[in-house]
Amino acid sequence: MRTYELMFVVDPRVADEEVVTMMQDYKNMITAGGSQITGEENWGRRKLAYPINKVNEGKYVLLYISSEVGKTALPEVEHRMRQNDRILRYLTVRTDEDLKRAARRPARSGAPSAERERDERMTDGVEPEGEV
Amino acid sequence: MARARKVFFRRRKVCKFCADKIDYIDYKDVKLLQQFIPERSKILPRRISGTCANHQRPLQQAIKRARHLALIPFTTD
Repeated sequence: MRTYELMFVVDPRVADEEVVTMMQDYKNMITAGGSQITGEENWGRRKLAYPINKVNEGKYVLLYISSEVGKTALPEVEHRMRQNDRILRYLTVRTDEDLKRAARRPARSGAPSAERERDERMTDGVEPEGEV
Repeated sequence: MARARKVFFRRRKVCKFCADKIDYIDYKDVKLLQQFIPERSKILPRRISGTCANHQRPLQQAIKRARHLALIPFTTD
């Protein structure tokens, strides 16, 4: 099972309802390709950090997708997004491996801050450059 | 002067992600990433921020992803 995040930025001149229908279109494509939509977020209008195509704002949409290996329509979805000039940017990120790795790392329990401070004091001056 | 320097106390830098136990660095977490992009929007080097190598790598990746989506700038003119 693989999980992905697909984020895209829509031209702000596109109406909100239009954005919703676009979202629905892509979601349909994805589910038709054999993947599941596990979540979605509509961030709405947001200022861009730099202008893209002379536009200073964008509407951000985020889809969480999970799919079995080899059963995705993501390449086609990306292709369609590339062609769609109302989409300023898109990014697909595969997240399962990184999240798994993060989950495996044992979360050290106990009072974190106090413990850390003690560690710091003990190593201070003894080793000027710290261990990893 | 040389003696004065010896007494100078340098605070030991700690990797923020190790300290806060952030294992997955999310490119969407603009607030977090912004702490590592100073004025000119360059990625803050490890030697300054104290981030460990294991966390600097995903941090760099996250910053680059966020830049692509115009969440954070590449540069400030």
